[in-house]
Amino acid sequence: MKVTRDVLKKIRFFDNYTEKQLDIIAKLSNIKEFRVKQVLFEQYDELSDISVLLEGTLSMGISLAGEKRIHLGTIEEGQLFSWSAVFSPFISTAWVMSVTPAKILSIDAKKLNKEIEKDCDFGLKTMSKIAQTISHRLGDTRFQLMNQLTL
Amino acid sequence: MLTEKNIYKPVMAKLTEVIEESPLIKTFVLIPEKEFSFRTGQFIELSVDGIGEAPFTPSSSPLITEKLEVTVMKTGYVTEHMHKLKPGINMGIRGPFGRGYPVEMFYGKEVLILGGGCGLAPIRSLLYALEGVKDKLKKVILCYGSKTPADCIYKPLFDRLNKTEKFEAYRTVDRADEEWDGSVGVVTTLLNKIKITIDESVAIVCGPPVMMKFGTIRLLEMGYKDEQIYLSMEKNMSCGLGKCGHCMMGEFFVCKDGPVFTYNELKGTPDIWK
Amino acid sequence: MQYKCIPKEEWDKTLEQLLLSFTIFAVVKNEFGQDYELIRPEDIPGISYNKPKPATSLKNFFLPVRENVTSERSDGKKRVIIGVPNCDIEGLSLLDEIYLDNEYDDIFYSKRRENTILISSDCFGIQEHCHCMSYGILPYSVRGADLAVINLDETIILRINTPQGEDFANIFPAIRLVEDKSIIDKIEQKQRATEKLLETSNLNLPDYKTTGELVTRAEVDIWEKYSRQCVSCGACTTICPTCTCFLLIDKPGFEKVKQMDACQYPGFERVAGGEDVLFELHNRFRNRYMCKYSWKPGKFRSTACTGCGRCIEACIGKINKNELFRELSKQPVC
Repeated sequence: MKVTRDVLKKIRFFDNYTEKQLDIIAKLSNIKEFRVKQVLFEQYDELSDISVLLEGTLSMGISLAGEKRIHLGTIEEGQLFSWSAVFSPFISTAWVMSVTPAKILSIDAKKLNKEIEKDCDFGLKTMSKIAQTISHRLGDTRFQLMNQLTL
Repeated sequence: MLTEKNIYKPVMAKLTEVIEESPLIKTFVLIPEKEFSFRTGQFIELSVDGIGEAPFTPSSSPLITEKLEVTVMKTGYVTEHMHKLKPGINMGIRGPFGRGYPVEMFYGKEVLILGGGCGLAPIRSLLYALEGVKDKLKKVILCYGSKTPADCIYKPLFDRLNKTEKFEAYRTVDRADEEWDGSVGVVTTLLNKIKITIDESVAIVCGPPVMMKFGTIRLLEMGYKDEQIYLSMEKNMSCGLGKCGHCMMGEFFVCKDGPVFTYNELKGTPDIWK
Repeated sequence: MQYKCIPKEEWDKTLEQLLLSFTIFAVVKNEFGQDYELIRPEDIPGISYNKPKPATSLKNFFLPVRENVTSERSDGKKRVIIGVPNCDIEGLSLLDEIYLDNEYDDIFYSKRRENTILISSDCFGIQEHCHCMSYGILPYSVRGADLAVINLDETIILRINTPQGEDFANIFPAIRLVEDKSIIDKIEQKQRATEKLLETSNLNLPDYKTTGELVTRAEVDIWEKYSRQCVSCGACTTICPTCTCFLLIDKPGFEKVKQMDACQYPGFERVAGGEDVLFELHNRFRNRYMCKYSWKPGKFRSTACTGCGRCIEACIGKINKNELFRELSKQPVC
């Protein structure tokens, strides 16, 4: 499905981007659809796209010896995931699977990085949003860890 | 001499039913010997004859005065004895004590409730109170997290709330089991999926200290102001009267000045999350 | 405020008669110093006046160490306590704020307060650790106590502060108004002399408010240093006129026993799950000073420390809080 500036404007993640910046992202984006219980990618897969969940629910987790699917979190509508595609070594830290039928916005990470190098304002905005998502995810994970360690 | 009110003497209440919520949590249904009224968020000191007393926030509706429900988690000496009790015996109640939730201050607003673990007990009482005045509220959102699906008490509550006008309820667990098909992650992750107008809402946080700390931090990050966040502090409450000194938290007596505080009141006090 | 006088012989005689209708306690010398004793007729001539101070405070007259708070009790005879130093009178003011707070009046405390006539005694002289004036308390009572008693050259002078005090004074048939102004001058001279002794002995001791600020800012090393000698015996809290934390213990039949407790004891803050925020000794040690000088002043009008110095006298580890405060006041503010 073709992605336009207007499609992106409806997504909370792209709140404060200018029209020009939205056009850039639209050109690099694709919308993908998944059925129930479809694996989007596995832990340690090489990733090429950074994604935003548009509709549905995804589950994410890790694998350990003996147990393939340890369910650690849920990705809700509007949330960013697969950010590892933007940073070397571009390897996923978790597996992601659809819980319900899902629609995601996929952005080509290599091309996104090129745009980031070209435009500092765009770069700062985008990296800040990615950093904030990772920071929240880290905070929540620490909380989850504390809960397991305390009464 | 004792025709005057004796603040140390408990009122008798008959234990009529014991409901098993989970392996470690039971709800006690009590009928006090005279009508007992409380504001949601206030607590009582519940005693077992000759064993001891402990503070609890009732989990029943404040609109019902002939009976009282108290949800008790088995954690220590007194609660262990409580868990052995059978219906028919008498228990002692002192109270109600403290400052409860100022429900009138929520009129005209959206109410976001962040709950964790056993914090759902006082929250259930608050939800009953809010249901009673729902015409005056914009909407009520409950976000609740438990460690595992088995740790969630009052499971039927969520479906019922989702069928009630103006109420939404979301659940998450830290660790899922095979049957669980809902959200996984700590309760703050549920804040990613709700729609709320921060300027026109209040946030209520109730649960274990770890959860209250992380919950408050996330709410502040979202844009909530200190005075919009209501916290229910559980401290070592003993006499309930602001006298015995056990619940002192800085210059506050939690039993008298709380247990409900706004974050604005507490932010200068050290060690509130311990 | 009025002064009345009575020859000591007449005072002693009437006191003996009063034993039939009042229970009388007074400060009496004993082998260790002096303390409150229940008075019998033969004790009356030996009552100690104007010498600071009794070893224990007034606290346990109004808050017994153990008390059943759910049982009926009869009122009993009215009580008179003679020879209370002003520091103890002022200490009662904090107890009144805590126990008679209108919302939850402790009826046992309230009855004891109503039932007791307090006769203060001006301090003519000081003990080694007295520092009441550093915290704004005078070594003689002009309010708080119903009466103040001074033994001057075998004449008992009474300073009458309240109507209850006036009524009590009028029980004595030989009582007269003081007309000789030189007597009042003599008393005031002695009061000034005591004040001077206090000023000299407590030079450089920071006042109550400053102490609160110093204690709040203090770093952990000073608490570790001074608590090294502490064994958590709780003597300081037990003897202190204003420390009143207690436990409620359940007895069969839903009876409750109120028993004095101390934040210095391990486990004071321990909760059912096992956590204890005051687990470490130096934290418990610090907690008491924060409570007395920083938190209680934020909540109550009365001072939470009367400067009586008994905690210094009672400490098994010989910890002197005034040394601690002096050291804090010398530290540079960064």
